[in-house]
Amino acid sequence: MTDTNIITTNTSTNMKAVFITHNQALTEAIDTILARHTIRGYTKWKDVQGRGTYSGDPHLGTHTWPAMNSAIIAVMGEEKVQPLLESLKKLDLKAEQQGLRAFVWNIEGVL
Amino acid sequence: MKIYEKSVRNPISTFMIAVGMLVLGLFSFQRLPVDLMPDMDIPILLVMTVYPGAGAAEIEASVTIPLENSLTTVSNLRTLSSTSSDNISTVMLQFEWGTDIDVIANDVRDLLGRAEGNLPDGADRPLMLKLDMNMMPIVRLAVTAEESFLALENILEDRVIPRLNRIDGVGSVDISGAVTREVQVNLDPMQMEALNLTLEQIGQTIAMANVNIPSGTMNIGTGTFTVSTQGEFTSSSQIENLVVSRPGTSVVRLSEVATVLDTIAETTQEMRMDGERGVELLIRSQSGGNTVAIANAVLAELPYILRDLPDDVNIEVAVNTADHIERSISSLGNTIMFAFIFVTLVVLFFLGNWRATFIVVVTIPISLVAAFIYLMVTNESLNIISLSSLVIGLTLVVDNSIVVLENIMKHIERGSSPREAAIYGTNEVWLAIIASTLVLLAVFLPLTMIGGMAGILFTQLGWIIAIVVIASTVVSVTLTPMLAAKMLKFQTDKKENFLSKRIEKILNATDNGYAKMLTWSVRNRAKVMIGGLAIFVASIMLLRFVPVEFMPQSDDSQITVSIELEQGRGLEYTTAITARVTDHIMANFPELEMISTTTGAASGAGMGAFFGPSGPHAIDMTMRFTSASQRDRSTFEMADLIRDYLESIPQIVNSTVNAGRSVGFGGGDIEVKIFGHDFHATENFARQLLAEFEQIEGTRDVQLSRDDMKLEYRVVFDVDKLGHYGLNVATAGTFIRNRINGMTASILREEGNEIDIVVRYDEPFRNSIEDIENIRLFGSGGHVVRVRDVGVVEEFFSPPSIQREDRQRVIAVEMSLHDVALGDVVPQIYAVISQAGVPDGMHVIVGGAAEDQAEAFADIGLLLLLVILLVYIVMATQFESFRTPFIIMFTLPFAFTGVFLALFITNTPLSLIALIGSVMLVGIVVKNGVVLLDFANLMRDRGLTINQSVITAGKSRLRPVLMTSITTILGMMPMAIGLGEGAETWQPMGIAIIGGLIVSTILTLIVIPVLYSLFGGRSILAQKRALRIIQADEE
Repeated sequence: MTDTNIITTNTSTNMKAVFITHNQALTEAIDTILARHTIRGYTKWKDVQGRGTYSGDPHLGTHTWPAMNSAIIAVMGEEKVQPLLESLKKLDLKAEQQGLRAFVWNIEGVL
Repeated sequence: MKIYEKSVRNPISTFMIAVGMLVLGLFSFQRLPVDLMPDMDIPILLVMTVYPGAGAAEIEASVTIPLENSLTTVSNLRTLSSTSSDNISTVMLQFEWGTDIDVIANDVRDLLGRAEGNLPDGADRPLMLKLDMNMMPIVRLAVTAEESFLALENILEDRVIPRLNRIDGVGSVDISGAVTREVQVNLDPMQMEALNLTLEQIGQTIAMANVNIPSGTMNIGTGTFTVSTQGEFTSSSQIENLVVSRPGTSVVRLSEVATVLDTIAETTQEMRMDGERGVELLIRSQSGGNTVAIANAVLAELPYILRDLPDDVNIEVAVNTADHIERSISSLGNTIMFAFIFVTLVVLFFLGNWRATFIVVVTIPISLVAAFIYLMVTNESLNIISLSSLVIGLTLVVDNSIVVLENIMKHIERGSSPREAAIYGTNEVWLAIIASTLVLLAVFLPLTMIGGMAGILFTQLGWIIAIVVIASTVVSVTLTPMLAAKMLKFQTDKKENFLSKRIEKILNATDNGYAKMLTWSVRNRAKVMIGGLAIFVASIMLLRFVPVEFMPQSDDSQITVSIELEQGRGLEYTTAITARVTDHIMANFPELEMISTTTGAASGAGMGAFFGPSGPHAIDMTMRFTSASQRDRSTFEMADLIRDYLESIPQIVNSTVNAGRSVGFGGGDIEVKIFGHDFHATENFARQLLAEFEQIEGTRDVQLSRDDMKLEYRVVFDVDKLGHYGLNVATAGTFIRNRINGMTASILREEGNEIDIVVRYDEPFRNSIEDIENIRLFGSGGHVVRVRDVGVVEEFFSPPSIQREDRQRVIAVEMSLHDVALGDVVPQIYAVISQAGVPDGMHVIVGGAAEDQAEAFADIGLLLLLVILLVYIVMATQFESFRTPFIIMFTLPFAFTGVFLALFITNTPLSLIALIGSVMLVGIVVKNGVVLLDFANLMRDRGLTINQSVITAGKSRLRPVLMTSITTILGMMPMAIGLGEGAETWQPMGIAIIGGLIVSTILTLIVIPVLYSLFGGRSILAQKRALRIIQADEE
């Protein structure tokens, strides 16, 4: 058996990865959104540092910038991505200072 | 998981632990004994040695000096003083405070055992006594009676004392001033001489008649019976009929040569309650007993005891120390309650939200009960020190919760859910909270290390505040975030009412106004710094007008008076003066509730003799007045009036009037001790000083510690002549003693009571020198000779007692002060002494409260240095900087400015209590600086310029700074106003903290940012220089 055999492609839909970084203070809201969109699978880093390109406070976990981010990467079917991003956008608009970003990219293959 | 996260995620556990603490604390609270002061070992041992018949000088040479020489080696000994008076030597060993007195007592016992060999044969074994707080009676009952007065002692001993003793916690019940029944056989020496009888023979006859002799058993028939000879008198009337004549002469009965009286013993002391003859019952508690509980139990038992007593016997409470304790404690309870209410209102004002206010305020009870648990575990009592500590603690415990809650609310406003805001909001500030807690601990833990008597007072204060603050810190990172998560709401649309809008407007205006002022200040640094310096220097000048005292005194509704008449006055004469003074006081002071007087000294050499009046010419009075709130005149004013009145009575030689209680002992007294061996020289010098001290303004009751010389009659025998008649000094002395003092011939047993039968010359035959000279002495071999034939009666003046300190003779000029601070008088005292010039062979020490004050103030000075150093260390580690804590330290001078200003305005002397308040201020005021500069540092790290940083920090931190300062200031207000009994003691602390905090808060908000911008500017230059070097390297 070769490696290519392991990588299978789902024929029915395209898989996308959504990478969400957010202020830890939004953890519960994010969890709720993921649950609402029935996204079961994800990988999470609880404490990560980060800062935005244009605005907002850095989240570095230092005395100067005490807030921290969490990061989630969730892989899902293409059809779930848009509704998820919309919910996240709504959350972000509600509390822009907190800091919430999501990035989407394609999945080439799945184990 | 961090502790705050755990508490937010497990709200039930957090809540239950808090409830558990509260229950445990309240349980402890309920079981805590209530007392005035913390339990303290008085580090004093007394060694009393009785040497019957020896005069003061003889006692000094043969008893006191040998004892002193061997006792001087005990460790931790502070002063060794002694009083040698007739018959008794008292050596007082005073140790350093905090000495384990039980261990030392064993050492002293060993030394006494060895010293005993050096004492004269006739001296009794030295008796060691521990001075103990429990030696002061907690309740004094005045017992008066009419018909039953003679039997009063018996009634009390049989029916009252056992019942009082049975009460839990009562240590001992003693009768003071009771009269003892005595059967007196008063002989007529003329008749005796005519019948050729001697006093000793009559005594012998009485003793021989008054016996029962068991005579064995006898068998009669089948039974066995005991036989005894019964002679014992059943009543005093039998004595009269005794036949006293010699065998072979005509029958002479005792009644023919003597009068037999069943009466009371000649008293040396008379006690009156409200002018009526009576006795006192002194009730003392067991060590560690709950004074208030015991006193209440005694009072509750009284009606039942009275029911079983004859109708004419009346028992009244003369002194109940529990009253003062209860009133002080309840006034402190009110202080705590008001402080709680004020703090709540301030928090509500600033947060404008009931839920947030509740979350903050709930910290208070939980932190305070931690103190109760501590008191319970360490076996301490609820007393004025622990309760005052709680008042101070109360104003500090909300700070941490406020900081946490504020940050949580900020997160919620930004859109977090309350639960996550609670976790992450706490996460951001918990380190800062720990740091500010450490600052407070750096101030309060060193308080537990103060030495001396002040240490006893402040140890508990230090511990309690430390524990309360630690508890509040724990609560602020557990319960506070948990409650915030549960109770705060997502505040998307704020519901604002009219009032909260108004408050918000005021606060915003304050913020903006402050920002403007700050902007101006950082641009005019020089002006601000010069202004600040000027204010500080001006306040130092002000200090010269603030008087200094040791301990504030409080009105405890009691006045004690001691009066001395001319040495040698008899009891009867003195009693008349007592009655006159009593009548005057009862007529002129409607506030009087009770006056009890003791005239004359107790007989014998017991503790009573040590504490009460010194002789038949002396009077002690204790007056109790209605409680302070119910009268217009303070006890201090009344004491002045009494003092003036006593001065108007010519018979009174010396009098001391004491009002007020100060924490600890010593009051406001000064003692100028003159050491020197020569009695007359020292006394003359002392009198010279005394006259000058009386001129100093504010001195009262200036008097010598040595009583006047007293007149004595001494019988000096010619030993040769005595020998000729077959006599010696001992036998001759005994004959004289039997005739004047009396000879206890036997004991009359009546209903289980034992009454002495005393034979002596009738009163008219023993009241002149001739009477002594006429006494007949009976030598061996039937020689009869009169005293005048073998000796002379001489008049002598002798000192009634010789006082020594540190093994040298001392005479002290004592005085108390009124309306004048100790610090003002002491320099004048020194001036008088140096002007008078101390003669050769003498040296002078100014002691008393002045000594304690100098010592305690030096201790506090050292403590202040230690505290400042510790606080600096804590801050330097927190900021990882030498400079920032240095800038913050500049709040301290302004705190002291505030203290001086507040003391000056309220006309309060600078006392030990005010100084301790200033030490505490160090911890409280630097917190403001920390809050401010921490944020300024943050802003600089976030890239703002220095001036922008301080202005932003100022604007953002103004509210927390104002809030924590105002909670403390208003929380202290009830203490500073000083309502209620005993409140005067802590008033200076409240005033000092409020003044210091107000001034330092205002100035901190201006001067510290200015200093920061000054010093910070320098560091930017350094950064630029460093950058230039790097650039140069790259090139």
